[in-house]
Amino acid sequence: MKLLMIAFKNLKRRKLRSLFTIGGVAIAVAVLVSLLGFSAGYKKALTNDIDKMGYQVLVTAKGCPYEAATLMLKGGGGLRYMEQDVYNGIVSDERIDKATPQLIHTVYDPDRLDGRGGFALYVGIMKSHLELKPWTKFKSGKWFTKDDADEVIMGFEAAELEQRSVGDKIFIPGIEKILTVVGIFERTGTQDDGVIFLPLKSAQQLFDLKDKISGIGIKLKNIEELGQFEEDMYEVPGTQVISMAQVKGTFLNLVSSAKVLVTSVAIIAVFVAAIGVVNTILMSVFERTQEIGVMKAIGASKLDIFRLIWMETILVCTLGGIAGNIGALLGGSIVERVVKGLLPYAPEGQIVLITPTALLTSLIGAIILGLVAGIYPAYRASSMRPIEAIRSGE
Amino acid sequence: MNKKTAAGISIIVLALLLLQTIELQAAVGCSLNDPDRDIKRIFPKSTGYRSEFISIAERGGQSLLKQIEAKLGDKFDTEYEAIDVPYSYYVVLTGKEVIGYVHGVNQKGMFGGMQIILATSLDGELLDMYYQKVSSPESRKFRDKSFTKQLVGLSLSDFYHHDEMQGRTCPSDRVGAIKDPTKKSHDDFVATLRGIKKNLILHSIFILKRSIDDPHKTVKGEKR
Repeated sequence: MKLLMIAFKNLKRRKLRSLFTIGGVAIAVAVLVSLLGFSAGYKKALTNDIDKMGYQVLVTAKGCPYEAATLMLKGGGGLRYMEQDVYNGIVSDERIDKATPQLIHTVYDPDRLDGRGGFALYVGIMKSHLELKPWTKFKSGKWFTKDDADEVIMGFEAAELEQRSVGDKIFIPGIEKILTVVGIFERTGTQDDGVIFLPLKSAQQLFDLKDKISGIGIKLKNIEELGQFEEDMYEVPGTQVISMAQVKGTFLNLVSSAKVLVTSVAIIAVFVAAIGVVNTILMSVFERTQEIGVMKAIGASKLDIFRLIWMETILVCTLGGIAGNIGALLGGSIVERVVKGLLPYAPEGQIVLITPTALLTSLIGAIILGLVAGIYPAYRASSMRPIEAIRSGE
Repeated sequence: MNKKTAAGISIIVLALLLLQTIELQAAVGCSLNDPDRDIKRIFPKSTGYRSEFISIAERGGQSLLKQIEAKLGDKFDTEYEAIDVPYSYYVVLTGKEVIGYVHGVNQKGMFGGMQIILATSLDGELLDMYYQKVSSPESRKFRDKSFTKQLVGLSLSDFYHHDEMQGRTCPSDRVGAIKDPTKKSHDDFVATLRGIKKNLILHSIFILKRSIDDPHKTVKGEKR
């Protein structure tokens, strides 16, 4: 304890330098914590997003499967369309537990973005949509009255943005159509919250896409049959099969590449911080040559000096580790927003999940950094000869 | 308390405030899409702005809500105009000097939500009005300058005066003189006026600290 106090007082003697060194370690630790948090959070959020789609398999019209999957996940449009007969043909497959077709369509709305124009998203669905997403509940209202009714059901956030209640009207620009709101879904925490749903048939009529659909979401009775099912689906002309497990794997692979880059930066940051720590402590040792000489002359052993300098280094790194953890916790939401802005697809929910394990790992890492970085300065200090050290200042 | 302790507490408080602001922004009813761009466009001489988020709940609760509803002449929608909705205010600055305000409200329209943004002077006079969002088959007519410029120069007093006229024709009723630009969207026109009035009432109470009954009086009773 006495050694710790002396080490602390020595650091306080050079406040600014110590603060900068602690700051360097803190930045490296904060980057590490955020990286660990992102690694855990992104996977969890992506898994949650995909699970909440309710599908295991998505059958879409032929095209780039990853583009299609991204558009489906992001709720975008611009997909190719396929015939509804494909759905009618495969829905009777005994391996299928539940299947639902959907038609995604975007309409140009000149009133979006302060009148500069933008796209609004509409999704045509059938009642089987609810079977695949049993967590989707009505906040108010009910299902469409007819298969081709001029009605909409709104996602929670879409209703909030448009200030719609059941019975209100909604205007679809471009096709100049007025529809009635018959239901509003409860918040699901998925992209569905921002969507306006129409009966599939109505959507096909309104958007002039008779008998067309964008995709079919499928849940199999037995997931082990997925491989064979995919094989069989490839026989259906003009379609492609995307397994959601594949999609998840692809996104995780894409993010892994980015993670390698960020990890490299984090390692460099840790390396630079370590050099900074060695440099600071070594400078401090050289400045205190006479002082160390006097300490040795009055009875301090080599081990005492080694432990003192080593303790100073560990202290700097531990304080840096604590500051870095605090920084990561406070700045977590900012990092989250930045990362979400940069990623091609950011899942809903928290993607930078800072866990106690990540905090503890980083803190232990900082202490180990101190242990390693302190060896050389402590060795230099402990190996000084007392008389030469005292004379060096003359 | 020594200086170091005070500095430490200040840093923690600042950090917490920053986090709180982030939370609030996520729930704000009608904030500007791009405040930097929008404020510079409305006030070309501005050099910066300060944003504030204020709800009726934190400034007076149910009793204030009732007073506002009485002045508005209409009830607030319990779902979308809830008492805890934070309204966003942008205090526009040139250097350190306040030169005006920008503030928005959400207003239910016939076919969707409207986002009505007002720019006002230090006295609460309307300098500009535009729809950040409007869903209507006749939206272009609402966005047209020939309509929005009719609103320039109005203040909350004009809306109160309009209420006193109760539908009578009067040359001094400037709100009554505003022409509906549409043929089939009169309800949206009425909703626009309601949104502007609500916006001006809230701004008068929250930012200008005026009396709800007399927008020329400050809450301390000083005549301006």
